[in-house]
Amino acid sequence: MKKKILIANRGEIALRIIRAVQELGHIAVAIYETPDKDALHIRAANEAIWLGDGPRCDYLNIDKVIGVAKKVGADAIHPGYGFLAENPDFAKACENNGIIFIGPPSEVIQALGDKVTARQIMKEAGISMVPGTDNLAAGDAGLREAIDFADKYGYPVMLKATAGGGGRGIRRVENEKQLRAELPMARAEAKSAFNNDAIFLEKAVINPKHVEVQILADKEGNTVHLGSRDCSIQRRNQKLVEIAPSLIKDRTLVDRICETAVTAAKASHYENAGTVEFLVDREGNFYFMEINTRVQVEHTVTEMVTGIDIVRTQIKLALGKKLAFCQKDVHIRGFAVEMRINAEDPQNNFMPEGGKTVSVYRSPGGYGVRLDGFVYQGFTIPKVYDSLLVKMTVFGFSWNETVDRLQRCLNNFVITGPKTTIPYYLKLVQDPDFKKGDFDTSFIETHAHLINYDDQANEGSKLAHLIAEIHYKRENPYAI
Amino acid sequence: MNRIVQGMGIAEVLKTVRGANGYYITNTARDMSQADYKNRILLHTDLLAAPSREEAGYFSLEITGGASVHVDILRKQVDPFLKLELLREKMPKTMFQTLCRGINLFGYRPYPQNVIRFVVKEFARYVDVWRVFDFLNHVPNMQAVFEEVQAAGKILEPSVCFSTGPEHTNEFYVKKVQEILAVTGDEIVLCIKNHGGLGSPKRIGDLVDAILQKYPEMVIHYHGHNTDGNDIGRIVAAAMAGAKIVDASDHAFTGYYGPPPILTVLQTLKEYGRQAVGLNEAAVMETSEVLRPERKYYEYFESQFKGFDPTVQIHKLPGGAMGSSFEQAVKGGFLDKMPEILHKELPKVQVELGNYWSVTPGSQILWTTAVSNVQGGERYSNCSGDLKNLLLGKYGPFPFYQPPDWIYEKAFGPDWRTVLAQEGGMDAIEDIDIEKERKVLADKLGYEPTEQQLVTYLQHPNDAVNFFRFEEKFGKVYVLPPSILFRRGGFKLGETLSFKDHAGKEHVIEMGPMQENEDGTETNVYLNIDHHQRHFVFENAVAEAGEAKALKLSKKEIEDLAKAGDVRAPFTANICEISVKEGQEVKAGEKLVVLEAMKMQTPMNSEVDGVIGKIVAKVGDAVQAGDELVKVTPLV
Repeated sequence: MKKKILIANRGEIALRIIRAVQELGHIAVAIYETPDKDALHIRAANEAIWLGDGPRCDYLNIDKVIGVAKKVGADAIHPGYGFLAENPDFAKACENNGIIFIGPPSEVIQALGDKVTARQIMKEAGISMVPGTDNLAAGDAGLREAIDFADKYGYPVMLKATAGGGGRGIRRVENEKQLRAELPMARAEAKSAFNNDAIFLEKAVINPKHVEVQILADKEGNTVHLGSRDCSIQRRNQKLVEIAPSLIKDRTLVDRICETAVTAAKASHYENAGTVEFLVDREGNFYFMEINTRVQVEHTVTEMVTGIDIVRTQIKLALGKKLAFCQKDVHIRGFAVEMRINAEDPQNNFMPEGGKTVSVYRSPGGYGVRLDGFVYQGFTIPKVYDSLLVKMTVFGFSWNETVDRLQRCLNNFVITGPKTTIPYYLKLVQDPDFKKGDFDTSFIETHAHLINYDDQANEGSKLAHLIAEIHYKRENPYAI
Repeated sequence: MNRIVQGMGIAEVLKTVRGANGYYITNTARDMSQADYKNRILLHTDLLAAPSREEAGYFSLEITGGASVHVDILRKQVDPFLKLELLREKMPKTMFQTLCRGINLFGYRPYPQNVIRFVVKEFARYVDVWRVFDFLNHVPNMQAVFEEVQAAGKILEPSVCFSTGPEHTNEFYVKKVQEILAVTGDEIVLCIKNHGGLGSPKRIGDLVDAILQKYPEMVIHYHGHNTDGNDIGRIVAAAMAGAKIVDASDHAFTGYYGPPPILTVLQTLKEYGRQAVGLNEAAVMETSEVLRPERKYYEYFESQFKGFDPTVQIHKLPGGAMGSSFEQAVKGGFLDKMPEILHKELPKVQVELGNYWSVTPGSQILWTTAVSNVQGGERYSNCSGDLKNLLLGKYGPFPFYQPPDWIYEKAFGPDWRTVLAQEGGMDAIEDIDIEKERKVLADKLGYEPTEQQLVTYLQHPNDAVNFFRFEEKFGKVYVLPPSILFRRGGFKLGETLSFKDHAGKEHVIEMGPMQENEDGTETNVYLNIDHHQRHFVFENAVAEAGEAKALKLSKKEIEDLAKAGDVRAPFTANICEISVKEGQEVKAGEKLVVLEAMKMQTPMNSEVDGVIGKIVAKVGDAVQAGDELVKVTPLV
């Protein structure tokens, strides 16, 4: 039966979800704030409802979103990632209003979103974790706890916001002096960023790999994993490049990680799509980090190597369908890499380039390339949202083939107007360590020279400007 | 095959050349560009020709130096170092050659020692063969460059500049060679630099012979120009007399005052039993096939007078200055006086000023003096600053004799002997603080300059900064062919431009419409580049209400205004110095500003005693005749 599904998000993920909704024969309803009035998700959806002037506050306003959903008669809401995606109150509000929340139940989001509770669940399930504290007590008592913990396990330690996620709200602390200085700051930051000042401490694992496992679970508790992803290439805990499957040579280790992920999902009574994140150290120890209770930005790489449409599956599971396949039906084939093409200037500390107009948008095509983006030539990037323009996901049968194709596709990708991360990635894919598949979370830091690239697209754009100027002047001031 | 390849040391090069059964050819692409196309041949064109020029197997490719370093940044918007880097990628074997004016480097005036050494060091990373000359054949003027080239392990090619006249004997030149060898040692290539293409084949053959009689092992490189159409004759005579290397260029671009065609040299000397060593004739032909379609885009820069000019034997202008002289005559409106200037005045001035060698910067002094003598009424009534410096010996001693006293009197007044005694002779030019200049440049650019940017800046401060800013805004224009960069009169609406970039890749640009916005403040320009539409917005220049139209003032009016303290530019020029400050008291005759035109500097002096009022001109400004420079309030 045709359902009406509201997409409570913007940007590329809104488009991604709209596509899945429409493929399933349902009706996609978009919402938007004023700065997004020229956004593509409005055009792609069957209906689009204006929320308010924003910025961001309307996308985050549970009452408004629920109100719109009820007004249009939405049967379900897909929250995407970010915004309200991991807000248990939003999931709860959906449940209370008879709207299907496409994601796990609110109590699961609640439990896993609270890192201390999550750790408790995993501890009971016998899953190894990086040693850490409970939520630190307020004031001096909390500081005392933190110092005692660090003395016991040694520095460096990580200060984390309990409600943080996606790499935000994490600080590395090298010594007691720094711990004393940063703890109150971390608390204040957590309060302002997540509206929750709970923080805790963890022992730092030095230069680990970030490996995560995609999970799907139906309401009956049938749980499968879709293999691993390596998201080690991060800048300040923000993922830039994601790879499926993990390139760890010891495949039995990867299998153990995947099985552990299923155990973790079952232990938390997980439903729908989720991601279990682990740190893997040089010795092959792996530690549970957290479960992300949403569709991840990098879900595309898993789709490419498994052939399973995760967003489509999410919708079907939320509408009460059983998983249509079991673990032995899931096969990993080839390699996929996603690169987040952001409107940022890597040479200027990755400063966002919002407010600029895309004057040329020429995307690569051909075998093995998939684009999940939302910009078009002439689109002005709103300043008030994130800087992701398009995710380029490239598939290849072997790792070498994938790297070759990445380079070809980046060479074929021309975006001018804003500066982008394309020329930086082009340099990155030519790096010998990357080509060998040899990287951990220190990669960006230890490969700082990658920042020294020539921006060819930008050069071409400058010349176009020169020709336009000659045309404008109706005479050539250089022909003298 | 005894091909010379880049990376060989001087000893190996000399051994190979001496041992080879035949002669070598240098492709003087830069000199051809300078002599016949006002130095405008673009890197784009040179990159197209690079593969076949590499195949051809030349002794060297002369591709930088002379005026080209300045024109690269001023008119072609290309970095002279990047040019060499990109050519090197396509031409790994061929040696690159430069032409360096000794103490004057690639400019027109002496530079401080530390600047010379700094500049040569940086260029020596790319340039294998260094032809060095001085327009007075004054060996000490070349010494710093000699030392740096030898220290960098590159091939040094000192020149004896050649001219004709009673003083220019074989004895004189052989002695000059001896003077050079005393400084350089004998691991050099010796250049006979016949920039005017002067003398008969016999004269050149005799000179080569005389030098080889004294120095039988000498590797002589003959350089000539084809201004009179007879350089093939001189090349043949030189080669037959034992010159081992000769200069010529690609025939597709030859025709006037540059070097003669390579292929003609090959064909002619073959008949005389002389083989060009290591040369691939097919590649020479291929180069011209590649170049031929490009020539039409440079037509505007060709000489105003087409064809050879055998009267060069009278006026002796160097090939490199012929085209620009005619251009100045057209722009200055004195083309009708050219016969008088070239055939009467210039030879007279040559003799009067010591019969030295008419080559940069000496040739510009001769030329501007002759023009000014014909144009200005009374001869030597308006001596340029550079002529005065020449008379004072600032460039070096006169080689044969000093100009007559009456010229000194014209230049310096009745007390000229005192002036000469006090100011005569070469100044020791003080080193500049290069690190300080680096900071100044960093401030101007807003970022830390590269070593190469600093080198360019030290030579041409204003033009370098303008170029760096241009490049930041408009990128690397060597990607564009001459059909676009040198397209005159702009583009037509709807016009389609198909072209290959520097790498040979096809592009297409459609010129779209231009539309003003509603209030006329902006213009939208649309282009289709490689089938993608681009949109550009330009702010329209607002014509200020009541803006005075530029008045065209006569020479007389400009002089009258100057007497009233309103100092105007007497001709089109660039401001290269402001010598006074606002509020400063000045005496009549005191220097106010220095103008530069036709590469020559001219001081503008106050006509009155007074106080400096408003200074309108800024260093680096381009001014037209009649433009305000400085106001002097006369003291009554």
